[in-house]
Amino acid sequence: MQVYVAGKGIITAIGNNVAETLQSFRKSKSGISHITILPTVHAGTLPAGEVKFTNEQLAELAQLPASVSRTGLFSLIAAREAINDANIPHLNKWRVGFISANTVGGMDHTENIFKAFHEDHTKADLSDVEQHDSGAVTGIVAEKLGIKDFVTTISTACSSSANSIMYGARLIKNNLADVIIAGGTDALCRFTLNGFNSLMILDDRPCTPYDENRKGLNLGEGAGYVVLVSEKVAETLPKKPSAKLVGYANANDAFHQTASSPEGKGNFLAMTGALAMSGLPHEAIDYINLHGTGTLNNDVSESIAIQRVFGMNVPKMSSTKAFTGHTLGACAGVEAVFSIIAMEEGMIFPNLRWQTQMKEVPFKPVTELMTGVEVNHVMSNSFGFGGNCSSLIFSKIK
Amino acid sequence: MEELMKTLKQQIVEQLNLQHIKPEDIGDDQPLFVEGLGLDSIDALELIVLLQQKYGVKLANPADGPKIFHSVRTFAEYISQHRTK
Amino acid sequence: MLYINGTVCISPQNTSDNSVFLPEVKPYTGNKIYCVDVDYTKFFDPGSIRRMGRLIKFGTAAGMLTLKDAGVETPGAISTGTGYGLMDVSQKFLHNVIDSNETSVSPTSFIQSTHNTVSSNIALMSGCHAHNNTFAHRGFSFESSLLDAFLLAKEGYDNILVGAYDEVSDHSYRSMKRLGLLREEPCTNTELFTAEQKGTIAGEAAAFFLLSKEKNENTYGAFAGCKTFSAPANADELKSITTAFLSANNLSANELDVVVSGHCGDSRLDALNEALIDSLFTQQTILVYKQLCGEYMTSSAFAAWLAARIMKLQSIPETLIKVNRQRQPKNILLYNSHRGNHALLLFKHV
Repeated sequence: MQVYVAGKGIITAIGNNVAETLQSFRKSKSGISHITILPTVHAGTLPAGEVKFTNEQLAELAQLPASVSRTGLFSLIAAREAINDANIPHLNKWRVGFISANTVGGMDHTENIFKAFHEDHTKADLSDVEQHDSGAVTGIVAEKLGIKDFVTTISTACSSSANSIMYGARLIKNNLADVIIAGGTDALCRFTLNGFNSLMILDDRPCTPYDENRKGLNLGEGAGYVVLVSEKVAETLPKKPSAKLVGYANANDAFHQTASSPEGKGNFLAMTGALAMSGLPHEAIDYINLHGTGTLNNDVSESIAIQRVFGMNVPKMSSTKAFTGHTLGACAGVEAVFSIIAMEEGMIFPNLRWQTQMKEVPFKPVTELMTGVEVNHVMSNSFGFGGNCSSLIFSKIK
Repeated sequence: MEELMKTLKQQIVEQLNLQHIKPEDIGDDQPLFVEGLGLDSIDALELIVLLQQKYGVKLANPADGPKIFHSVRTFAEYISQHRTK
Repeated sequence: MLYINGTVCISPQNTSDNSVFLPEVKPYTGNKIYCVDVDYTKFFDPGSIRRMGRLIKFGTAAGMLTLKDAGVETPGAISTGTGYGLMDVSQKFLHNVIDSNETSVSPTSFIQSTHNTVSSNIALMSGCHAHNNTFAHRGFSFESSLLDAFLLAKEGYDNILVGAYDEVSDHSYRSMKRLGLLREEPCTNTELFTAEQKGTIAGEAAAFFLLSKEKNENTYGAFAGCKTFSAPANADELKSITTAFLSANNLSANELDVVVSGHCGDSRLDALNEALIDSLFTQQTILVYKQLCGEYMTSSAFAAWLAARIMKLQSIPETLIKVNRQRQPKNILLYNSHRGNHALLLFKHV
């Protein structure tokens, strides 16, 4: 059973939708900037991939009340774009699901009310209390989209939305669902910003993934979703799907709570597992959208694992986190959309700001935008805390 | 210095929640990491927080940690040279 | 159908030792109840235990004990669910961030705050490099991990560890209070159902299951089916969803022996459970369980542990029985709901 990608939707620091995102890629325009929306003492010192809309502006875009958490607003904006893009005739006659991912839920609201709430629990707004948990955010969006059949939330740190896409594909393959909107969302908040800062893995400059002199990551925010459909649904579409999800794997590094093993065992297992399912030889992969956070640890483990999988003939690769920052629970959804754009547009995105070769590996990422390239198979990596490692492989439908 | 080392041992046990270790059991020159007290990279980050909270010293580069936190003595020496409170 | 070849639960009752089955009920007064700790130094070395929040300890321990119960060293995959996640360490971290005005923040709580901490801890301790998932979808968290396991079994995996866990944190307790879900008058858990009342008690537990395609001498019974759905419009709709679920599993209501109902002690909410029982299950033994573990998002996992133990022992502890129809517990249905998330789970004696 094949799983087709019928639509995609996205919002990040480089665009509110697919069209704007594509424009930013064409101009190699990064979304990393000083923080201006999130109220934080780090605003002047720690750059991030912040979406330059206030919650009120996002609420208007999403057609939701501004009392909904930023995580939920991003989610609805991107999921709705994906559904509109898929344009599935008689959507409600199919078994439809919404499998979303996030790591912080409504934390952006919780941290604003937290102090007062813990002094006097009657003080907080009901809706702020109600939407704290990860599932609440998914629930609000599913209800707005009118999706009832399958709704759930996955939260496995930075691999979350790769796992939601995988779960969606498996529901279709096992004939439990026909259409699944899958991906993830996360908003910048002080919780994660200070968390990563306390681990001393945030770069105080715009990040430089895969560079020998990299200092760490920049956080980002946003949402990305794909609409996965069965073969039966694909046949009814007015617009032919441009891609298939042909391989995926979820593996665990089982090495350390936050750090990757030096040899990248989990990364290796995720990539080889996804390749095995796709039936593709590794030479067939035209582009790897790297996890590439820009931390010392991730980029070394990932690149060593890539070398183990691909040998000396590594595919073209880049980390788009230099554009968007690390969007955490959203990143695999966001990068799934990027992977499909790469195939549709024949484009490979540059790993912005790269200057110096890493000493651990002999290869380097793509540093200038490439256009007019035949991109048929893309691997997208997402690795997280707790050793959760997932890889997805998309193939172009010609 | 003796007094500072004694205080520091208590603060280390407290900050790292070393329930199984008494402050006085930590040797002045005993390595704190790996083969010594068995601390790891997360503990190093916690010690950076301790340094900032109690002594007003901000350590910008975590790579400096291993040298400073080698033992209670090296830690105390660093503090006495750099403390702002 | 997947066989339950191991299960352990850590809860506010003495449930972690499978050589006994609820010989007595621990009474608690107040509107929140906490797990009975096991000796965690048996599981974790002193170097790592010092950092762990409560849920990480009792969640990980329940998972590791389940592997031990099943005699499995490394599971084939791990899939878990948690409603609130690691809320206690999250709130500790948030206090630190806010109190220090973001200037002096300690990383330990943050590291443990991601929802996948327990499942990845179990992977780390059992050396499991395979599929590892964590669902965080309120009252569907456990059911989602169960469906994940059913899919995994079809995809060639075996010996899958599933489970669910939540804790009473200061934040979740205050939230339940703010949402008007808790008893306002002092209440003893053993008297949760004695009078018509509003509100329930906050609770917690961790329950795990080792699910296999083959049965063995340790098999408790089998998970036969699971269905999740959003709030039915009325009792009739609930009845027809339940009937359809049973017939999809080739069963009629009469063939069920025991129904475990997620009554929470709030008579306004329990009315729907009562209506279902009155309309379909007049010949079945009816059990209730939230007097033991309290109300929390993944309490259906606690009830599943009860069902597994009942199937294996073929006896029902007195404390669970609401209505006794003297039936041998062979086919067991669980119906539970948590604020709009409704679930049916089916168990079969083997």
